[in-house]
Amino acid sequence: MMANLYVKATPPADLNRNTEWFTYPGVWTTYILILFFAWLIVLSVFGCSPGMAWTIVNLAHFLITYHFFHWKKGTPFAEDQGIYNGLTWWEQIDNGQQLTRNRKFLTVVPVVLYLIASHTTDYQHPMLFFNTLAVFVLVVAKFPNMHKVRIFGINADK
Amino acid sequence: MIAIPYFTALTTYFSYGLLFVFGQFRDFFRKILDWWSTDNLQGYAPICLGLEDFYIRRLYNRVQDCFGRPLSSAPDAWFDVVERYSNDNNKTLKRTNNVSRCLNLGSYNYLGFAAADEYCTPRVIDSLKKYSHSTCSSRVDGGTLALHNELEECVARFVGKPAAIVFGMGYVTNSSILPVLMGKGSLIISDSLNHNSIVNGARGSGATIRVFQHNTPSHLEEVLREQIAEGQPRTRRPWKKIMVVVEGIYSMEGELCKLPEIIAICKRYKAYTYLDEAHSIGAVGKTGRGVCELLGVDTSDVDIMMGTFSKSFGSYGGYIAGSKELIQYLKYNCPAHLYATSISPPAAEQIISAIQVVIGEDGSCRGAQKLARIRENSNFFRSKLQKMGFEVLGDNDSPVMPIMVYNPAKVSSFSRECLKQNVAIVTVGFPATPLLLARARICISASHTKEDLIEALEVINRIGDLVGIKYFPAEPKKQQQVGMLKLE
Repeated sequence: MMANLYVKATPPADLNRNTEWFTYPGVWTTYILILFFAWLIVLSVFGCSPGMAWTIVNLAHFLITYHFFHWKKGTPFAEDQGIYNGLTWWEQIDNGQQLTRNRKFLTVVPVVLYLIASHTTDYQHPMLFFNTLAVFVLVVAKFPNMHKVRIFGINADK
Repeated sequence: MIAIPYFTALTTYFSYGLLFVFGQFRDFFRKILDWWSTDNLQGYAPICLGLEDFYIRRLYNRVQDCFGRPLSSAPDAWFDVVERYSNDNNKTLKRTNNVSRCLNLGSYNYLGFAAADEYCTPRVIDSLKKYSHSTCSSRVDGGTLALHNELEECVARFVGKPAAIVFGMGYVTNSSILPVLMGKGSLIISDSLNHNSIVNGARGSGATIRVFQHNTPSHLEEVLREQIAEGQPRTRRPWKKIMVVVEGIYSMEGELCKLPEIIAICKRYKAYTYLDEAHSIGAVGKTGRGVCELLGVDTSDVDIMMGTFSKSFGSYGGYIAGSKELIQYLKYNCPAHLYATSISPPAAEQIISAIQVVIGEDGSCRGAQKLARIRENSNFFRSKLQKMGFEVLGDNDSPVMPIMVYNPAKVSSFSRECLKQNVAIVTVGFPATPLLLARARICISASHTKEDLIEALEVINRIGDLVGIKYFPAEPKKQQQVGMLKLE
């Protein structure tokens, strides 16, 4: 069995079941491992160059995280009676507090992915354009000033 | 304090991620297929908004056969579980006519009153014949019998407070008392793992709610100091009253509350205390008087003591015990007293007889025997489980013991394998517990005999090895060590 490292899991004082799972130990490592294994799978399935694989991972990461963090609103259970129905997942974590450790980590990950993807493709077009667009949208969406902002009313509550 | 192996945390996140991805794929295809078919809403609004029922449809329904199993006998130490089968992957379950006799490790039957009792049941049947099954009216309207007054006096004497008031339902007790006592301009500070009834009552009261870290008196003091210094939101006026709500035994952790420290802090900052003894009244303490007796806290230091009768006394309903003025005020103001039907007479008689057995007023020492048996059973079971290598939560003397399982697949397979071996265990997962910390919860009863417990331990040991939930190293047996020394 792998080295029996134990970590302490203290229950946090966060009542929102949709977001409190992110405060436990091991989440950051799982996130990074998923990205790494996704790169390996893309390399083996498509047989492309490592740079193209990182670009594909970056763009897929952009689509998935934008959809689940910044587009989908509310929670997947009905027990909280819809108090979070107007908030996206990003606006719900850490009870709406800005610039916490989790938020800083989640803002840094797209930037690091962008640097890896653009370095391994040697900054060629058209990959550079798509990568830059992805990182720009993701980082701007995570600014503290964008909390609860709906540009042109897109995705606002009815 | 829960210590989780790091590798298990990673695999649990991965499992939930995989389940989530599969659920999203199936929803996506379902949306595409439904685009072609017409909807039969007929102009009505849909019941669920958006993704509200995603968890129920895609995660809970897959393992539905582990929850809500129907029984066909009283929930005693051994009971009959109805077997079910499914033809469409657990979306619907059909009952058969077969029952299996299983060992009950899930019911809240702490003192063994759940089945027929030699002292209580004849009295209950007599009161059913005398008073009929229901008063059919509220307490103020003609629903107060002599039995209700006797019950309230009996409860007040048992708990150690001047007066008490009883209600027909335990959940309703919490959710209708908190709005009466606290209103706008008051502050409720509740433990982060408090029961849903307290959360609902607090939300319905209109008071401001703050949460402190579970069972951490230092964080409670920090929250109290911060809130008293800041005052009410926006106006910054001082709070009208502050109430700290804690539970005696937390049902998901099996832990006892750190009551002496919390009472000391509340006295220093002049906050009221509300103690919810749903799982601890009748089950812990030398004479069964709950967590105050066990931890040596004077009952006059706790302002409001609340409890339920469904766990230790084999009945249903809830009570609030406090000073005479408080109970008088509640009788005039509480909606559950003014409008809800009073507690049913046979149920009230069961509580009175059960309390008489526990105190010893029925002339025998069965009450003391039951209390001693549940303490011995809990300590024996817990120590044996810990020696086998399971991660068991909860303090000594607490009859609730959760075994940590973590992984969602292990939760359902543990439950199913145990049922095949005729041991019925309750498993709990997300969202009742935090995402990582799914567990199997065992409730020990005074009606379990030593042989029952030893058989249960063997089954859990075998299945624990099969499923792989022994996260701590097991203690080696002493005879083997002696043997190894002799060989050398």
